[in-house]
Amino acid sequence: MSGCEGGNCQTCQDSDRLPPGMLERYSLDVPVSSGIMVVVPVNASELPDYAAELISAASGLTDGRVYTVIFGNQDMKELYPYIFGYGTDTLYHVRGKAIGSYTPEVWADALSQISERIKPAAILIPSDKTGREFAPRLAARLKSGLTADCTGLSSDGSVLRMIRPAFSGTLMAEIECSGFPQIVTVRPGTFPRPEKRRASGTVIYWPYEGDSCKEITAETPKTDAASDIREAKVLIAIGAGVRSRSSVDDAEKLASRIPGAMVCCSRAIAERGWMPASRQVGMSGAAVKPELYIAFGISGSVQHLAGMSSSARIIAVNTDPSAPIHSCADLSILSDATQTLKELLERVS
Amino acid sequence: MKYAVAVKQVPGTADISVDSGGNLIRSAGTSVLDLYCEYALRRILAVRAPEDEVTVFTMGPGHASEALRRCLCLGADRAFLISDASFAGSDTWATSLVLSEFIRRFLPDADLIVFGRTASDGGTGQVPSETAGLLSVQQFCYVDDFYVEDGNINVTQDYGAFVRSCRVPAGSVIAFAGTDPCGTLMSISDRISGMRKPLTKISREDLGIPPGSAGIKGSKTAVIGTHAVEIRRKNRKVAAGPSGAADIILKELEAFR
Repeated sequence: MSGCEGGNCQTCQDSDRLPPGMLERYSLDVPVSSGIMVVVPVNASELPDYAAELISAASGLTDGRVYTVIFGNQDMKELYPYIFGYGTDTLYHVRGKAIGSYTPEVWADALSQISERIKPAAILIPSDKTGREFAPRLAARLKSGLTADCTGLSSDGSVLRMIRPAFSGTLMAEIECSGFPQIVTVRPGTFPRPEKRRASGTVIYWPYEGDSCKEITAETPKTDAASDIREAKVLIAIGAGVRSRSSVDDAEKLASRIPGAMVCCSRAIAERGWMPASRQVGMSGAAVKPELYIAFGISGSVQHLAGMSSSARIIAVNTDPSAPIHSCADLSILSDATQTLKELLERVS
Repeated sequence: MKYAVAVKQVPGTADISVDSGGNLIRSAGTSVLDLYCEYALRRILAVRAPEDEVTVFTMGPGHASEALRRCLCLGADRAFLISDASFAGSDTWATSLVLSEFIRRFLPDADLIVFGRTASDGGTGQVPSETAGLLSVQQFCYVDDFYVEDGNINVTQDYGAFVRSCRVPAGSVIAFAGTDPCGTLMSISDRISGMRKPLTKISREDLGIPPGSAGIKGSKTAVIGTHAVEIRRKNRKVAAGPSGAADIILKELEAFR
């Protein structure tokens, strides 16, 4: 196609038009992109469950190798046997003075360097607050497609088919990326939790030379972060139908008398400030699947149902017989939520 | 201080329904300014000094100008509608490409580029970070607290496990954490003055983006199908007073006690 300046065939101007004789446009990336890169973004002494889920699932989704990337200091070495045990072939351990504290700029920069080296077909990132922050920046760097917050993934060995909720959970969309690497953030709990196993494998230290550009003036851990409603066996859920703030205390006292029980809430309660956002269930909160979910005064918006409909058993306590929550409950009790909570607490005390 | 606030017009969520084939039914004329975007704009308007300039912009079809008009009524000074038929169907990559190119060309001296947490229709929350990445500027998501002191912008971000405070350099992207649960109504005078402020339309040519680089053709991801969410269970309803209800629930809880 050289020497045709000023010609009128338009091939060079129109990216959709193929040169004469070419039947199909090929992506030159395809033959070199292989394997899945799993990113474990946190500095932690224990490997989070969602990381184990993603590493283990990656082996089943690719014909190639599974690369896991971790960030942090020497202490992270204790995690190596488990990272390999879940199915990692090669582990990249990113270290450097800018790695001490998470920043989306540094994380995306380091990951783009590693991705350019190993050319994975896909990059899986947990869909937590940090993952959802640096993944788009990484996608921008790699000029790649990114699908957010997937709740289902399948693959033909290299091309992923991603499923994610859209329009507040009323629709599930199936999505494919047009090039490599395909970047996906995956909602924790999407894949089964694998059993703990130990193994060994190749570790590559990846020195990150850059500086952290962030001017952080203060950082404090949040105290309520330790208790995770996704771990609860029984969830006592409070919704807008509960009229008084004291019902939240009633629910907490009730939960304290049932082993493995915790209290969670709908968005209305979190926005009233009655419970912290970390206890909120639904599209904009956590996705939970306890053995028993008891919804007190929750009407059941699609956003809320998207976060709890996978629970093993669901009981709804609500005076309104036409509330949408009933359609996804196994048992509905048409009773006043506030009074029922009070009565329950008296009985177990 | 020059603020650039990205907003989006979305379907009124209450009007979304799905037909038997799983396709989205959208009633005409029910598009609204996204709540998260409105919240972000209100947070900026609450701290703006008289000499500050607040610009809003959106990428969308012609009728997205209604959302911009609302922003002008709320107190923004000027608005840009980035609109071109070839932008339809853009994924987050293509959207971020258009927005970043717009900021480069039309708002290069913005001190702060502001987004809402996410838009309530797509709900990905990817565009702020992707735009920051394409502009190679710093990004600050999940912003709770926001204040300007001696000309410096400071934010506090809620990461769930920890809370972080940062100094924000000029030109950065921030995304607020939530929405305003109460909301407030605009007055008639706000509406009248909003109707008189400038609203400029920007096309693909104005951005120098070649045909096929945005919209469905320029997108890196494609929706290949949709299906409706089915979460119906076999439901049994029991009417009971508080005491009867407590009996039933205690029986259910026996296995756990």
